[in-house]
This record gives sequence, structure tokens and C-alpha cells, in this order.
Amino acid sequence: MKLAKNKLQQAFDLMAKEANLLVPMKIEGVTKFAPWGAEGELAMDAVNTLLPPKDALFPQTEKMYKYKTRLTQVESLEEIKETDKQIIFGIRSCDMHSIDCMDEVFLTRGYVDSFYSRKKENLTTVAIGCTKVLPTCFCDSMGLNPVAAPTADVQLNDLGDYYAVKAQTEKGEALVNLLKPLLEEGDGEAAALECTLKVNMDGVQKKLMNVKMFESDIWQETAQKCIGCGTCTYVCPTCYCFDIEGKECGNEGYKFRCWDSCMFSEYTRMAGGHNPRPSKKERVRNRFLHKLAYFEDRYGKGSLCVGCGRCVADCPVDLDITMFIDKVGALKEAGSND
Amino acid sequence: MSDMQAKLRETAKKLLESGEVGYIIGWGKGRTNKTSPVFVKEPAKVDELVWNEYCLNTLAKYTMDNMYPEKKIGLCVRGCDSRAVNRLIQDNQLKRENVYLIGLPCEGKKDPVTGEMVKKCIECMHHNPLEADVMVGEPVQEKGYPDRFKDVEAMEALSADERYEFWAKQYDKCIRCYACRNVCPACNCRECYVDQYRVGWQGKQNNRAENQVYGLTRAYHIGDRCIECGECERVCPVGLPLMKLNRKLLKDANELFGEYEAGMNTEVKPPLGTYKLDDHEEYM
Ligand code: SF4
Ligand code: SF4
Ligand code: SF4
Ligand code: SF4
Repeated sequence: MKLAKNKLQQAFDLMAKEANLLVPMKIEGVTKFAPWGAEGELAMDAVNTLLPPKDALFPQTEKMYKYKTRLTQVESLEEIKETDKQIIFGIRSCDMHSIDCMDEVFLTRGYVDSFYSRKKENLTTVAIGCTKVLPTCFCDSMGLNPVAAPTADVQLNDLGDYYAVKAQTEKGEALVNLLKPLLEEGDGEAAALECTLKVNMDGVQKKLMNVKMFESDIWQETAQKCIGCGTCTYVCPTCYCFDIEGKECGNEGYKFRCWDSCMFSEYTRMAGGHNPRPSKKERVRNRFLHKLAYFEDRYGKGSLCVGCGRCVADCPVDLDITMFIDKVGALKEAGSND
Repeated sequence: MSDMQAKLRETAKKLLESGEVGYIIGWGKGRTNKTSPVFVKEPAKVDELVWNEYCLNTLAKYTMDNMYPEKKIGLCVRGCDSRAVNRLIQDNQLKRENVYLIGLPCEGKKDPVTGEMVKKCIECMHHNPLEADVMVGEPVQEKGYPDRFKDVEAMEALSADERYEFWAKQYDKCIRCYACRNVCPACNCRECYVDQYRVGWQGKQNNRAENQVYGLTRAYHIGDRCIECGECERVCPVGLPLMKLNRKLLKDANELFGEYEAGMNTEVKPPLGTYKLDDHEEYM
């Protein structure tokens, strides 16, 4: 099926009736996925947005449960359940794969995170193939395809004045059905697209997993310029760490979770004040090992870096993960210093 | 430019060879036009140092990673970096004898993506290093920045509601990455109030109120010590116009306590760091 581009707004209106529709928008200069109708401009050509769409499943701040107490007794305790339907429209292959990664973390290995899983059940994803790449995009080096996101519910491809529309799941079929009045017969193949930035992951994960790497000089050298801000982790579509805290007022309150960053000193600080990751060397090591080695080791689903390039573009000191990958790739053997 | 780069490398080499400095903090090449801070230890590696129109980062704060160096740290300084050095010395975070300053007059830097002069450099009032142990290159013409408080005046002309709305929109965007704080030479506290999690000054929720608390608190903490390097505004990933806030406090300080620029030397104390009997009450 195909959707003429001049019917896009009508399609948005239809979808927005069914669910909270998130589309790429530019708001106050920031591109991100925001509700259709929010104040700002539609940014379908943003390639990947400055902020990733992970907020839809894993909000930066999420209330978990609220309670009331009387003296020392709990009077009421209620889980806060968000059950609104959501559609993310225009998600790119890299960000779609970031959801696959978060699914592994939040839904597998014996624990289902109910907050995430409710949102995921109620989410429909509409991916759109890229027609151009940014200088920082390297998703195809990480095993993805800029024009196809196989796990999305619906795949769109930009073919000039229309989008080719393909349902890929049951949810996707339901959505295509909803849009049926606007769709026309027809099809078309998206032109293949390659990223200009290339890295070679061959052997990198294995080298990094080698115990000799842990004390390598590479970490100090790499981390020296890091200023320990949270930019890389907060713009990353796959960083999923959070902290849980409470807010209490009188005899009622709520608990919330909020994004945390392994780049912050406070992240690993223990109650007694000891910090097992005392300096940026240990913190950068953790981030890169988590992205490029540990995730594959635990879940066997490839790297936790999807190659979106956001951290490369936004790090204030240009600490570039792609240059790090090259550097590890070029090492004669794990643990050697050249 | 490339002349200066050659001279910088030559100077660096001599300093490393003679053992005058243990290592040199400067700028190196990134993958694209971008440059990135580098730390050069060996004379054979001085070619990693670059000096071009994209050397954007201020470097002085990296000395705080090594507060008791065995040898002096060689530090490349433009005008802004030299003010940052003064800032750190005055705040007792750096000893002058621990650094060897390699001065580089700077005509302003460009955005590696757009190729245009960056805002902080358009607004720069001191292109030449205020202090250096060795100078690389000839001094450049200072242009001053007559519009220093123009943005602030425009904000002041708005009503309180309009100002609230303006800043509310800005702080709704803040992702609380703390890049603005971490890059700031005036934010040099060993432990920031934000990280004093047990006291809980700063709530962790990302919402308008908490984000504004953060923005205002930081602005006040650096109010009379901000050296106007503009780095916070440059690094903010979501583009908050932070210099409007910082300059508002500087403007007030100028009006209440007389003409003042922070980090010009190590002698003149920041107005809020001193007390005089005839001080104005309004600032409290
Ligand atoms: S790598 Fe860059 S973005 Fe990440 S914490 Fe360090 S300085 Fe910040
Ligand atoms: S590590 Fe960087 S490039 Fe990789 S997914 Fe995260 S933000 Fe994107
Ligand atoms: S750099 Fe920008 S987004 Fe990050 S904490 Fe500062 S104001 Fe907020
Ligand atoms: S925000 Fe305040 S407490 Fe934190 S580093 Fe800056 S001056 Fe210090």
C-alpha cells in the first residue's frame, strides 16, 4: 500500500484519535518525538532526532506508586499505571533497534518490569526508512539497515511524493487498517542507503571481554578528556539506567524513578561514601564496556550501541565512541598498548 | 594559523624535552573538523597538538584532575583559558606554580559543523591571554563587546510573566545532564550541591520546577565569578541561552558594586566574596 505525502496530516489526525501520537517535532530548537499537535514544527527530515524516543517507554521521570500513611501504618498504597495507547510515528532503524535492546533488559531474564511492559503492550511503532544519513550515523556498521527496521509494526519508505506502507506485525496490520481510507494500491522498493561513517566491530567485542583489557592503559587515555556530564547517556537511545527516589509531603507521597547516568560520580557512590568507580577512567570504561561488550555477553543480541551517532555529535569534548572502536580494533591483541 | 601551530609544537617539544613540564594540555584532531582536548606527554607526540579555527574547548579545568602534579602542567591558554586559570587560582583550586602557560592569541573560533564564528567568540572581550609564561604568535586586536548586556536589557524590558514564560520554556527542555556545570571553570566545588544527595538540596525529578531550581542555583553560585567564557551555553545539548542568566547577575554586580569582570587577575576579589560597610542591601 502507499500513502500520498499530502495525506500525511490526515493520517496523523486519524491516528491521534486512536492513541497518543508521537511524531518528530522541532520544539524550541530541539528535535524530539512529541505529541502531534504540540507547539512546534513537524520535523520529518530530522534524520535522527536530537533526543531519542526512549522517553515514550522509559520516561526521564516516571511516578511508580503513591501512598498515604497514618502514624506508622500504611493507609493506602497504589501502583500508578499508565495504560494510554501510544504510536511512535517516524522512528528510524537505529531507534527501533534501541527498543529491541530495552525489551531484552526490561522484559527478559526472569523479571518483567511492569511499568515498561504496560507501555510496550500499548505501543505501536511506525518506522521510516532514511533517505539521507548524518555525518555521525554509523548504524550499518552495527548490523542495522537504514531503510528497514524489521521489528517495527509498520515500515514506511519515502518514495518521493508518497510513502510505501508495509505492515510487519498484527499491531501493524491494525494500524494500516485504520489508515485504509487514505491509502492507495501500490508499492515500491526503497533505494539502499549507506552510512558514510564506518567502523569495524570485527573482533572488538571479544577483545573487550578479555580480562586483560580491564586494566589496559586505553581507559585512562580515552577517559582523560571526559568531563563526566551525562550528555552521552541522556541522548543515547539505549542507556536505560535509573534511580528510584521518593517525594513525601505530610502523610502522603510517591516514589518515582528517573534516568541516571553511569558518568555521574554519584551513580556508584555507596551509603558509606565509598565509590567503586572513583574516577572518570572507571566510568568511561563502564560505559564503553556495557555498550560494546557486556550487553552482547548477557543477551547475545549484538551491541548495545545501535550506531545512532548522538553521543558522537553531542559530547562537549568529542569523546567519540567510533574512534574508540577503531582504536580497540587496531590493537594487536587484547591488553596490549599498541 | 599553521605557522602558529608549528610554533606551538616546537614550543611543546622543548618544554617536554627539557622536563620543564610533565605533559601538555592542548587541542587535538577529531574525526571531523572538530578538535578535542589532548594530553601530550612525549616529545615525539607533539604533532598531536593542533591550533586551528576549531579549537573550541576551554582547558584550564583539566588541571583539577591533577592538583598535586610532580612537574608543572603545560597548559595552552587563549584569553578565556587564562581567565579560567585566574578563576581557579583565586578559588584555591590551582597553584600558579603548578602550571606553565603557553599563550595563544585567538581571533575567535568557528563551529565545526556550520563553519560560522561561535557565539562565545563573537562575545569575547579578551582575545589575548592575560598571562602566559611563553607566547606563541603575535597579539591580536581587541574589539571589546559593547553589547555585553544588551540581551539582558531586552529581558529586563519584558514583564515578569513574559520572563517566566520564556524561562519556563527553556527549562522544560533541560535534560539535567550537568554539562553546563561540568565544563564551567567557576563550578569548581569539590562536591557540588547537586551531588549532596543525602542533604537533598536538588531533587532528581526532571520537571520544570526542579530544572529551574538547578538553573537558578547554579547561576547564583557563579554569579560574581563567571568569567564569561560562554562554555556552558556552547555545550548545552538542548541550547539553553545560559549567558542571559549569567550576564544578568554580572550586570547587577556591575551596577551595585562598580565595574567588574571576573578572572582578570588574581588580586581583585569577586564582589560577593568581600564585605564593605557601604555595600548595597539590594543584592541580598
Ligand atoms: S563522554 Fe562526553 S558526553 Fe559523555 S560524560 Fe564524558 S564528556 Fe560528557
Ligand atoms: S552509544 Fe552513542 S552511537 Fe551508540 S547508540 Fe548510544 S548514543 Fe547512539
Ligand atoms: S547543559 Fe543544558 S540541558 Fe544540560 S543541565 Fe545544563 S542547562 Fe540543562
Ligand atoms: S552549581 Fe554551585 S555547588 Fe555546584 S559546582 Fe557550581 S558553584 Fe559549586
